[in-house]
Amino acid sequence: MSSQITLTSSDGVDISVDRTVAERSILIKNMLEDLGDSGEPIPIPNVNEAVLKKVIEWCEHHKNDPVTATDDDDNRRKTTDIDEWDQKFMQVDQEMLFEIILAANYLDIKALLDVGCKTVANMIKGKSPEEIRKTFNIQNDFTPEEEDQIRRENEWAEE
Amino acid sequence: MDSSSPPSSATTSHTQHIAENGKKADANRLPLSSTSDSLNELAKQNVAPFLAKYHPRQYAPRRAEDGTTTVPRITNAGYCYRHQPDSKCSRQADEQSMQQLQRELETLPQSDQQGIAHVWSLFSAAPAKQRKLMLQGILAQCCFPQLSFISASVRELIRIDFLTALPPELSFKILRYLDTASLCRAAQVSHRWKALADDDVVWHRMCEQHIRRKCNKCGWGLPLLDRKRLREAKREIELRATNWGSQPVNTIVDGAPNGTCSVVELPLGGKRKIEVEDDQSCAMIKRHCVSPAYQPEPDDDYFKTRYRPWKDVYRDRFVVGLNWKHRRCSVKIFRGHTDSVMCLQFEDNILMTGSYDATVKIWDMETGEELRTLRGHTAGVRCLQFDDTKLITGSLDRSIRVWNWRTGECISRYNGHSEAVIALHFDATLLASASVDRTVKIWNFKDKSTFVLAHPEGVNAVKIDTPSRTVLTACDDGVARLWDLDTKTCTRVFQNHIGAVQQVIPLPREIEFESHLADCEIDHVSTSSQNGEPASMLSPTLEHRSLGTHPSSSGASFEQESGRLDPPRYIMTSGVDATIRLWETNTGRCLRTFFGHLEGIWALSADTLRIASGGMDRMVKIWDPRIPTCQDTYEGHSAAVNCIGLSDSRFITGGDDYQVRMYDFRA
Repeated sequence: MSSQITLTSSDGVDISVDRTVAERSILIKNMLEDLGDSGEPIPIPNVNEAVLKKVIEWCEHHKNDPVTATDDDDNRRKTTDIDEWDQKFMQVDQEMLFEIILAANYLDIKALLDVGCKTVANMIKGKSPEEIRKTFNIQNDFTPEEEDQIRRENEWAEE
Repeated sequence: MDSSSPPSSATTSHTQHIAENGKKADANRLPLSSTSDSLNELAKQNVAPFLAKYHPRQYAPRRAEDGTTTVPRITNAGYCYRHQPDSKCSRQADEQSMQQLQRELETLPQSDQQGIAHVWSLFSAAPAKQRKLMLQGILAQCCFPQLSFISASVRELIRIDFLTALPPELSFKILRYLDTASLCRAAQVSHRWKALADDDVVWHRMCEQHIRRKCNKCGWGLPLLDRKRLREAKREIELRATNWGSQPVNTIVDGAPNGTCSVVELPLGGKRKIEVEDDQSCAMIKRHCVSPAYQPEPDDDYFKTRYRPWKDVYRDRFVVGLNWKHRRCSVKIFRGHTDSVMCLQFEDNILMTGSYDATVKIWDMETGEELRTLRGHTAGVRCLQFDDTKLITGSLDRSIRVWNWRTGECISRYNGHSEAVIALHFDATLLASASVDRTVKIWNFKDKSTFVLAHPEGVNAVKIDTPSRTVLTACDDGVARLWDLDTKTCTRVFQNHIGAVQQVIPLPREIEFESHLADCEIDHVSTSSQNGEPASMLSPTLEHRSLGTHPSSSGASFEQESGRLDPPRYIMTSGVDATIRLWETNTGRCLRTFFGHLEGIWALSADTLRIASGGMDRMVKIWDPRIPTCQDTYEGHSAAVNCIGLSDSRFITGGDDYQVRMYDFRA
C-alpha cells in the first residue's frame, strides 16, 4: 500500500498527496477501500486544480484531527466559532469560498463543509437585509409594499 | 434563479450590455489615420480568424443599428467550466457599470475605440484556457497601481448569492448557524432568501435547540412545546431539506404516511404534568392533540387547517421569553378568600387555591371567575394537589380529603395524622403527606397500605419521585432528606440551612448546567453512568434515553434495575434563613446558595428555565439556577407570599393579604 496517491483535478492536473491526508475525504477513502489502491490517478471531476490544492492544504493541516463522522445531529454545537487557522484559511474571495463548500460537499469532508458554511453564516450574521444584499450582490426583488409587510412580520425578533 | 432553466441564449443575451461586436465595424467606417488603418488590417488578419474559430455563432457580421461606435459584445462563451453550463452561477454584469464603460469608451478617439473593441472581442470569444492566458499576460504587464486597481475591483466583483447558488441542502446548513434575529433579517433579503429562511427545515431545528431549556448560545428557552411532536416531525423535516426545491415551496403535508408536520403545543400551565412526562396524564390537557402519524389522510385540508409553520411556533414562544426578560406581563388578581392563601396549583385554564378560611376555590384563569368553592375542612387548608379527576387537600384540621372537583363532592377523608397536615404530593398510586406530627406518611392507593417516615421535627414539604421510588422531605430541624421508598430509609441528608427548611423540590431531569457546575461533577462521573440519568451537558441521545427509561412511557428498556432511575440529580430547597440552595443528590453537596430574599422563603417553584420564590418579605423573585444573582423581583402582595405556581408563561402567587395574583407573560 503506497502512502502517496495521485488525484487528477477537473482541469487535468495531477496532484500527489499523502493517502492519509486524502482520506479526510470520505469519498476518496471509500473509493480507495472499495477499489483498492491501483496506483492509478483518481479523477476528481468536480474540482479544479486551484480548489483541490486549497482543499488538500486544509486536509493536510487537519490530518490528525479525530474523525467525528457521527455528530451529524449535534444540536448543541451550533456555535459559529471557527478556530484561528481555519479562519485564516477561509480568508479567500467568495468564489473560492463557494468552490470550497461545493468541493467539501462533493468530497464528503464534513468538518471542512462545516467551516465553509459557518464562514458564510458569519458573513450574514448581524447584518441588515440591505447589508446582506450588498455583501452578496443580491437584487431586492420585493415590491416596497411586500418589503414593508415582511419587515413587520419579522419585527418580533428585534428586541 | 431556477436551477432547472437551461443555459439558454436568452440568459446570455441579457448579460450582453455592450453593444454589437466590433469586428465588422472596420468595413463601413472611414479610416481616420494610418494607424487605425493598419490596426484594422491587423484585426482582419488576426482577430477575425480567432473569433471565427471560437465564436462561430457570434461571427455573423451585423451592422450596428445606429451605425455608431460599436463595442464587442461580452458573452459568457468563455466562462469557465462551472459557469458555462450552469447558468445559475453565471455572473451578471450590472447595467450601470456597463453604461459607464460605454460612456468612457466614447470619449476616446475612434481608432482607440477600435483597438479596445478588438481586445474585448478577442477575450470575449476566447475559451477559458485562452482567457486565463490572456489575463496572465495582462497581469504580467501591470504596474502596482494597476494591480491595486484590479485587486480592489475584483473584491467588489466577486460577490456570490450563496443561498441561491448552492444546493438547498447546503443553504439550509448555512442558515442553521444563524441566530433568531439574523434569520429574520435574512428572510427580508429577497424572495429566494425568504423562502429558505422561513422554511420549516430551519425553524424546526430552532425549536429543537430551544425547547424547554436555555440555549447555550442565546440564553433563552422555548418551553412546553410538545417534544414528542418535535421528534416525530424530524424525519419529515430531514426529507424536506433534501428534496427542497423539487416540490412547490409552500405545500407542506400532502398526506404522506408520516404527516406529522402539524404542531401541537401543550396549553400553557401544564408544568407539573409535563414534568412527569406522562402521556396519559397529559391527555387531558392535550385538547387538540392530533395524531396523524401513519394515517394517510385523504383530505388535504385536514392538515392544512392544523398546520402551523414552525417559525410561528417559535415566534410565539420567543415573544414569551422576551416578555419575561423585559418584565412585560399583565397582572390579574383573584379575590374571594377571607383569610391567607396557603397553597395553589394551576393546569391549563384551571386554578385552585386553598386558604386558612378553610375553603378551596376553583377559578377560571382566563375570566378570573370563581367557578366553585369547596367547603368541608374545619380549619385552614394548607396543601392541595389536583389532576384531571381528583383533588386532594390537607388541612390544619389534621385530615386529608379527596374531592371530585368537577362536582364539588368530597369523596373520602383520611385521619392519619395527629397534627396539622402541612404538605402533600401524589403521583401514580402513591400519596405522601407531611405533618407537624413529625411524620411523612406514605399512602398506597392500590393496596391501601401505609407506612411512616419518622422525622425529628415537623415536616414542611414532601415530593415523591416515582421513577426513582424516592421521596424528598423538608424538615423543621434544618435538614432536607432523601428517602428510599423500597427500604423506607433515609439515604441522603442535605444539611446547610440555618433553621427550618420550608420547601424542597426536584429540578426537572432535563435541566442542564453549564461548565461552572461541571467541575463539581467531575468526581462522580463514573457513578452517574450506571443508568440513563442525564449528564450535565445532555446529549440528544441521553435525552432520549432519559425519556425512554421513564416507567410511564411505554417500551422502556434501558434501566438496570426493573425500571428504577436515579433520583433527580439536582434539588432546590428554601428556608426560614432567607436562602435558596441548590444541591446535588448523589453527593449531598450544596452547589450554590442564592441570596436575595430578606426574610424566610415559604414558596418555591422551578422548571427547566427558571426558579420562582416568595416569602415573608412579600417579594417574588425569579432566578436562573445557573446564575447566583436574582434575575427579577416582583412586588405586589401587601403581606407574606405563601405559595407560588410557575409555568413557562406565568406565575401565580397566594399571600397573607388574602390575594391571589397572576403574572402573565403571554403576548
